[in-house]
Amino acid sequence: MAKVLEGPGMGLLRKWGLQTPNYAVVGSSEELEQLAQANEWLNTSSLVVKAHEALGSRFKLGLVKVGLDLNGAKAAAQEMLGRTVGTLTIREVIVSEAVDHGEEYYVAVKSTRDGADVMVANCGGVEVESNWDRVKRCSVVVGDAPTDAALEALAKEAGFTGDLIAKVADFARKLFLCFDNEDAQYLEINPVVRNAAGELVALDAVTLLDGDAKFRHPDWTFPFAAEFGRAYTENEEEVMAVDSKVKGSVKLIEIPGGDTAMLPAGGGASVYYSDAVVARGGKLANYAEYSGDPPDWAVEVLTDKVCSLPGIKNIIVGGAIANFTDVKKTFGGIINAFRKAKAEGKLDGVRIWVRRGGPNEKQGLAAMNALKEEGFQIEVFDRRTPLTDIVDMALAKK
Amino acid sequence: MSILATKETHVVIQGGVAGVNAARRMGEFRHMIQQPLNVSAFVYPPDAGKTNEVICGNRLLTIPVYKTVAEATANHPEINTSLVYVGADRAYAGAKEALDDSGIQVVSMITEGLPEKDSKLLGAYARKLGKVFNGPSSIGVMSAGECRLGVIGGAFDNLVACKLYRPGSFGVITKSGGLSNEIIWICSQFADGITTAIGIGGDAYPGTDYVTYLEMFENDPQTKAVVIVGEMGGDLEERAAEWYGAKKRRVKLLSVVSGFCQESLPKGMKFGHAGAKEGLQGEGSARAKAEALKKAGALVPETFGALGPAIKETYEELVKSGEVKPIPELSEAEQPKLPRTVEQGMKDGDILVAPLIKSTISDDRGDEPLYEGYPASELINKGYDIPHIIGLLWDKRLVSKQEAEIIRRIIILSADHGPCVSGALTTIIGACAGIGLSQAVAAGLIMIGPRFGGAVTDAGRYFSYAIDNNMSVDEFLAHMKKNVGPVPGIGHRVKSLRNPDKRVKELVGYVKSLDLATPHLDFALEVEKITAAKKDNLILNVDGTMAAVLVDLGFPVDSLNGFFVLSRTIGLIGHWADQKRQGSRLIRLFNYLVNYAAPARREVPPLQ
Repeated sequence: MAKVLEGPGMGLLRKWGLQTPNYAVVGSSEELEQLAQANEWLNTSSLVVKAHEALGSRFKLGLVKVGLDLNGAKAAAQEMLGRTVGTLTIREVIVSEAVDHGEEYYVAVKSTRDGADVMVANCGGVEVESNWDRVKRCSVVVGDAPTDAALEALAKEAGFTGDLIAKVADFARKLFLCFDNEDAQYLEINPVVRNAAGELVALDAVTLLDGDAKFRHPDWTFPFAAEFGRAYTENEEEVMAVDSKVKGSVKLIEIPGGDTAMLPAGGGASVYYSDAVVARGGKLANYAEYSGDPPDWAVEVLTDKVCSLPGIKNIIVGGAIANFTDVKKTFGGIINAFRKAKAEGKLDGVRIWVRRGGPNEKQGLAAMNALKEEGFQIEVFDRRTPLTDIVDMALAKK
Repeated sequence: MSILATKETHVVIQGGVAGVNAARRMGEFRHMIQQPLNVSAFVYPPDAGKTNEVICGNRLLTIPVYKTVAEATANHPEINTSLVYVGADRAYAGAKEALDDSGIQVVSMITEGLPEKDSKLLGAYARKLGKVFNGPSSIGVMSAGECRLGVIGGAFDNLVACKLYRPGSFGVITKSGGLSNEIIWICSQFADGITTAIGIGGDAYPGTDYVTYLEMFENDPQTKAVVIVGEMGGDLEERAAEWYGAKKRRVKLLSVVSGFCQESLPKGMKFGHAGAKEGLQGEGSARAKAEALKKAGALVPETFGALGPAIKETYEELVKSGEVKPIPELSEAEQPKLPRTVEQGMKDGDILVAPLIKSTISDDRGDEPLYEGYPASELINKGYDIPHIIGLLWDKRLVSKQEAEIIRRIIILSADHGPCVSGALTTIIGACAGIGLSQAVAAGLIMIGPRFGGAVTDAGRYFSYAIDNNMSVDEFLAHMKKNVGPVPGIGHRVKSLRNPDKRVKELVGYVKSLDLATPHLDFALEVEKITAAKKDNLILNVDGTMAAVLVDLGFPVDSLNGFFVLSRTIGLIGHWADQKRQGSRLIRLFNYLVNYAAPARREVPPLQ
């Protein structure tokens, strides 16, 4: 699932015939000035300026300014650009036209196991969140499209009357087309409003696309945004860059403040390891995972990042019994990075716990065990020790 | 008995290298259960018409590769299952093609990163046709003692350790590939092993779900209990719980669910599997799933670690109730083994192979070549040079600095001799005819023989003969005249006493300046005095000089031509590259350079 920022998200809606307010994504107030010379609306409309970054609670952070004229917008842009929030520097703002409107509505399309649900409500904004029962849905089987009649019935069911029935149905039809053709997983327009001309306009949108479908969308030139309200860290981005290059996968998410570093193998097992740490009252310093027999150098990069996490006390090198990931080879990459980290003093007082099985497990585990002779604090277990027992041992030890 | 993959399963694998690797793993399994390979064909358009090699037991089988699934099933009507190993961008079309084939009932896809929509479409299409689409991101299916689809189960020793050569009583369904293997191992250690283990893949909307297979297990009398390894996200575990709780089921259900850590992690965090994402308001959370399964009557241990003892408990109940009869264990000697390779046998010391060739100069089996035992990098780092390598590889010894310098000079002096000599001219003609470097240079080298550059060995041989037999110059010349003919190494086409060969002068001058015994060179120079007196151009030529010097250095007579071949190769490569650089065109002799001495044109007589 890949989150898309408002700018490109609005672009996709327009591509499929939905109206959005005029908007512009700019990286400087000068750029905004230039654009104003060509775009009348920037001079005449009431403007909204928002930080165009993957950030939650922008309102609270003062990163949304409303009711501005062009000069006010330029000043707001100038003030926001270059500001840092945590690890993130604001590099772009989105300037959009405020739309005078009365009632707010809600239209969304959500992926389901059988296809998708089209969801409509005749209230919007924060109101819909407290009135979830007013959201009506119509299920569409994958490969099908909703009929006009079904969408009109849905609009009626949601309480729309008069010409709004056809307008809402048409809006939902286009949103579904966008969803279906753009490999979206979730499209939510909240609020949908009526402008002065009586047309429905998408005022704000959440756009989640299926990142796996990028290969068939050459016009997805925009970057995907991190989904948890913060930007990716440099280390995470480096690991993602490696991940995109290699067979198999390597993944890393840093969790500030934790002291138990995770370096487990396997998308499934890695979560059980994280569970075990939390169940034992430990604090995770990260989530990580490597699988699909990645090259040793990729695992080495991942290990390097894991060893660099601040304040860690234990590293959990766990894993189930691999099907085809070569334990000796992948451990080779881990060992290289361990040696480097140790030479740099990053492993002082850090205990390493290993449990693993799979192709060439004997050689891989023996190589890990041999690190003891180099002065590592390392405990190595094979398949006869249950999966997450190393976590119990790591966190039980004083 | 087992489900999904059985004794009757016959497979086509769609894909390239990864598919071939899977077939090899499947071959190992078939050897373990002593059955013929069940992979009938591959489908991979780039390799259509070729065959892939798959080892099964101690035989190397050749399995045909087809362009389409239809061709594969037409040629191998027994095929009823397809494994999809193609990239995410082509996987949908591949799986659809397999589902469209009337003979194929099961399609299992290992491809990761398949767009969600494609996965949903394939799942829906398969259900419509009453077929099974398993995956994507599926590690495969393992039915103990019967059939392996894909690489599930890992290496051969793991298959044996998990007793997969015979069925047990536990069914396994997992999203994770690595954990499927872990559960197979646990079932073999805490109970009597598995019937079938299925990886459904970790995507959000897999083609089939737990319920699909719970139904099948329920109808398989061999399977007494089913282990589900779930994780947060989606509603597959809830649906399994619903199925289990709906009525009294024959199979016992055990389950663990991962993702409890999510409660204390940043919101929106992405886990290893695409399907592992948090739901709204607890929907799809690990806790909600575990509660639903418990409520439906499944045994849900608190942690993954407690799963083994829970399986054991279930197994012991089954034994106690008489539903399961314990299976006697195979002794180490009775367990299946992979045929050993010749290499392994030799390593273990119980196979003797008569070598085909013997090499006494170099060894490339380590991380770098050893010349006469010396690592190449160490030779470089200790300042050794090309002449030393010649000494090691041609004469099996480390030559001295002085000897190396003489060899170096010989190479410099004979590296090239202009474009007109036989070797260079031939290489140039070849280059102009557009042929490649190695062929054109080889053509030039072919010219080296008794009249061009190839007299070094012979000259060395006869000078040695003279010295070894204590001959005087007169005795030697008499011997040569009677038994051989002209003395090799003596005489030049254009050089003479009055127009001496500077190369010879240079080499002789240098060697004589050293504190070195040079009996052969001295003898050759004495021979020259006599022959040159008879005829002006019967001088010691460069071949003869090199030969005498090299024999003095102790190089074996048979290696001597090598010095000229090696040196002149430098020049020949230069000539080829020179013509290539100029873009030279095809050349042919002008007619006026040929004396046409053939009979004049005349009438052909009638055939008799």
